[in-house]
Amino acid sequence: MTHEVRPDFKYTASHEWLKIKGKHGVVGITDHAQAELTDIVFVELPQVGKQVKKGEELCVVESVKSVSEIYAPVSGKIVQVNKKLEDTPDTINKSPYDDGWLVELEIAQNSEVTTLLDAEAYKKITK
Amino acid sequence: MVLKSPLYNIHKKLGARFVEFAGFEMPVQFSSIMDEHLTVRKAVGLFDVSHMSNTWITGKDALKLLSLTAVEDAARVPVGKSQYTVILRENGTIIDDTIYMRLPDKIMMIPNAGMAEIVTSWLNTQAKKHHLDAQATNVSKDFVILAVQGPKSRETLQKLMKENLSALQFFGCMYADIAGVRCILSHTGYTGELGYELQITPTSKAEKVFNAIVDAGKEYGIKPIGLGARDTLRLEKCFMLAGNEFAGGRTPLEATLGWTIFWDHEFIGKPALVKQKEAGTFQRMTCLECTDKGIPRHGCEIHKDGKKVGIVTSGTLSPCLNTGIAMGYVDPACREVGTVLEIMVRDKPVKAKVIKPPFVPKDWAQKNS
Repeated sequence: MTHEVRPDFKYTASHEWLKIKGKHGVVGITDHAQAELTDIVFVELPQVGKQVKKGEELCVVESVKSVSEIYAPVSGKIVQVNKKLEDTPDTINKSPYDDGWLVELEIAQNSEVTTLLDAEAYKKITK
Repeated sequence: MVLKSPLYNIHKKLGARFVEFAGFEMPVQFSSIMDEHLTVRKAVGLFDVSHMSNTWITGKDALKLLSLTAVEDAARVPVGKSQYTVILRENGTIIDDTIYMRLPDKIMMIPNAGMAEIVTSWLNTQAKKHHLDAQATNVSKDFVILAVQGPKSRETLQKLMKENLSALQFFGCMYADIAGVRCILSHTGYTGELGYELQITPTSKAEKVFNAIVDAGKEYGIKPIGLGARDTLRLEKCFMLAGNEFAGGRTPLEATLGWTIFWDHEFIGKPALVKQKEAGTFQRMTCLECTDKGIPRHGCEIHKDGKKVGIVTSGTLSPCLNTGIAMGYVDPACREVGTVLEIMVRDKPVKAKVIKPPFVPKDWAQKNS
């Protein structure tokens, strides 16, 4: 089965996506990742205002049987979290790139963005 | 070496994802754990549980050997009955929990996955030590085990056999031809629903039975079910999983399996249990339903007033209740029904209430259809 990859997003090899919004970046998990996890039943979101470093744990997503750490694709300060996921975590399954976003970051260093995978490179690793 | 079920290729065709469990590569899920779980609660599901073990208990002292090595007196188990019991070490801790079936000609025991060698060698050692004419023979690789579970399981299987399935009582066992294949059939399961388990040998005939059950169950919406839903189904009913609930050495009294013990006979481990019972100060299996959001997992600490009072052995989100549920060992003073405890999930307390088992009652599906 082929999963959607958004052409204008950036990706990590650990299946997070980053959408650039000016100085901010929105983070979520990819369609491939949600399909692998199936039935997402719980999301533990971080505190707004928290500083995270690239590669550090950003939040936790749980399916019935698994606990998955989601890593920050870039360093930055968390400015917003998707509170809706606390009541409807399966939004991530239904809409991984839109309504199922996880957090919005204020990007600390633009140079980190260029180290991420583009859509073509991400497609290759999930083949 | 990782073993595969003889039905591996069928599972693959049905879209299974696999997981390694007790040395077997078995399906963990087909559609999704949620979907499979609710299919079993509301309709019928088909499980391949060939990772479980098969051991023949034979010889003229077979019943004596079982009485000696298990907490039930096998002399009380009539032909045609399956018996759930536990096998203990001298110190009273559980080696394995198991079901044995008293068939007309011999006895088949079903040790847990990966336990066949340990259990057969323990039984044979005890037979020799006590001069009993009895043998345990591990025949796990000769059998496929299927479980048909759910409110529509009886109707599904009845289509494939001549005998009246309604006449087989709960925990009854018999030989039966199912889809023309001789099976050992028992009215047992690990889901808390109406259900049956089939032992099939030779394994080459299992595919025919599997496919016939899929066809017979089609009108009820039968689905193949993986080990993921098997675990959530048993947890909602507070059934023990040996590898989780007995790890590290737990006695049947600690595991709240006291009801399985027939005290009026001698068995290995009995003196240790008598001593423990008299002392009465041990942790016991306790079922906790979360009132906060959060999902308890194996190994989470259980706290009361900031102090550790227990440990979670199994935890999950309950697909039926949509809340976190956990089983674990808790200090005797903290486990009265209704007591609120805290389960530490990633260092954060999640409030949970002690409940009287099970989490999901028998009539759940009728009330939630």
